[in-house]
Amino acid sequence: MLLQYKCPNCGSDMAFDSESGMLSCESCGRQDNIEEFSDDYIQSTFTEEEAKEYHCKNCGAVIITEADTTATTCSFCGAGVVLGDRLSGALAPAKVIPFTISKDEAKAAFVKWCNKGRLTPRGFMTANRIKGITGLYVPFWLYDLNSRADVQAVGTRVRTYTRGDYIYTETKYYDVYRDIDLHYVKVPVDASEKMNDELMDKLEPYDYGKLKEFKTPYLAGYIAEKYNYDDKELFPRVKSRVKKYVDTYISSTVTGYSSVRYTNKQIDTKQKKAQYVLLPVWMVYYDYDKQEHTFAMNGLTGKVVGRPPISYGKVAGWVGGIAGSTFIAMRIIQLIMGGGLW
Amino acid sequence: MVRQSSLWKSIVFCLTILLFSITALSTPTHAAPEAKQRVFDDAGLLTKEEVTELEALSAKYSEKRETDFIILTSKDADGKDIEDFMGDTYDEKEFGYDKPKGNAVMLTMDMSERDVMVTGFGEGERLLDDNRADLVREKITPALSRGDYFDAFSQYIKSSYKYMGYREGVDPDNIFFSTLFQLAISVGLGVVVVGKMLYNSGGKVTVSGRTYSDANKSRVVQRRDVYVRTSVTKRRKPKNNSSGGSRGGGGGVTRGGSSYSGSRGKF
Repeated sequence: MLLQYKCPNCGSDMAFDSESGMLSCESCGRQDNIEEFSDDYIQSTFTEEEAKEYHCKNCGAVIITEADTTATTCSFCGAGVVLGDRLSGALAPAKVIPFTISKDEAKAAFVKWCNKGRLTPRGFMTANRIKGITGLYVPFWLYDLNSRADVQAVGTRVRTYTRGDYIYTETKYYDVYRDIDLHYVKVPVDASEKMNDELMDKLEPYDYGKLKEFKTPYLAGYIAEKYNYDDKELFPRVKSRVKKYVDTYISSTVTGYSSVRYTNKQIDTKQKKAQYVLLPVWMVYYDYDKQEHTFAMNGLTGKVVGRPPISYGKVAGWVGGIAGSTFIAMRIIQLIMGGGLW
Repeated sequence: MVRQSSLWKSIVFCLTILLFSITALSTPTHAAPEAKQRVFDDAGLLTKEEVTELEALSAKYSEKRETDFIILTSKDADGKDIEDFMGDTYDEKEFGYDKPKGNAVMLTMDMSERDVMVTGFGEGERLLDDNRADLVREKITPALSRGDYFDAFSQYIKSSYKYMGYREGVDPDNIFFSTLFQLAISVGLGVVVVGKMLYNSGGKVTVSGRTYSDANKSRVVQRRDVYVRTSVTKRRKPKNNSSGGSRGGGGGVTRGGSSYSGSRGKF
């Protein structure tokens, strides 16, 4: 099933506009609210079985997609198309955060970010070799979790005092017990095989206030992927992630001790709910020094992540600069303290 | 362009510091040769060349601190106690950079008793107080014991010169004043800061457990902190008796009425 969005006025292809948050027509400028957009104008083409091949309704060209793609543009006429059957049933996303940063804004934000790179080579900073910039809806699972922690520990309080010729060290031992009930909401885990997990984790946070009920028109004009892993498969990942949060919370409740040794720590994390959502990410492909660098940008906040190339000269310069000024500062302090200069 | 210039700036900055430190540490060669004698090797511990060399060294540093660095060795201190011998010699020869019986630092040796004394007069008394004289003496004692007199004497001049550069009451052996320590800290800081910059260059995680926790529901259900027992250990207070023994003397007044600071000991 292929979905295309036809302008009720002029019949052109419509695409999602990040600025207005509406479905808009480039030809006549008509804008439609996605929540109210009539199904009549969504052209759907049904195919008999699990289709491997989709044909663009406009030009008839074969739309070439990868198996995970759920939204793309026709490579011949540029019309935004959504592959409906890959977004239905178990694959139907519950929610989506639409892009708020447009392609041009994303480009500008990326250039600005490159300029801030204090260790990147000069040629990289001009950011004039952006090879491609793609708006991508990345599939995520948002987990609502309940962690129950049962903790036993031995805490000590140490006090030293002097009496006569001796120094006494007094150690008091305490039996510490905590039963903690923690709730986490909407912890995101990216569900796409292609996306680098580390990169995606750094993109957070997303403003969940911007979550919308999923409607296919949001995807018009962008690329979207479907999930490769379901919520059960990804649960261990979210669990290990939350474990760190729980650990931090536990230690924040065990305070006032000189040392704490945990004798028993049981963390039981249960999944309350998992929602399949699509989150907006701009992927920036950048050629520098014959190498392609990939960066990801949060489609809501403009936060950029990804390893930039490093200029060794600049690294040396910074180390030298910091070391040099520290050295001078210490010399000055020495002078002030009465140590003479040399 | 702006970036590059800041890079250059920092490089130039470093080179300047380097140059500055080299010139400051290197020895100026324009020290005018003086006829003044500062090395009195009556015990014959040094060769002629060594005496000439030490004279030159002493002349150079004496000028910088406006304080004469005197070396006085004797076979038996004329039968006197080293302290009296030192004081009498000072009075008799009227040491001093600025005037007779003026600013001077003396290293006196009595080979028969194996006594050594470092004393300061005038500015020398002020800037090379008992403590610092102790430090200088302790520094050169190993070389003296070995019989490396030339090394010990040069070190005496250099250390006294160095310590006199510190304001009164400041501990010159404070680790903070060590150039090596300062360099290590500077480079360490540079590496740590830039390392952190490198680590964060790819973006950093800005969310924590608090970002996703449901504060309304999350809570500590039960907490218990029960006192179990106390254990007490004791150890003897460490006594402040570093090195001990050979230390002693301190300052005094010569028979001629010049007061001095000092440190004496055996080698």
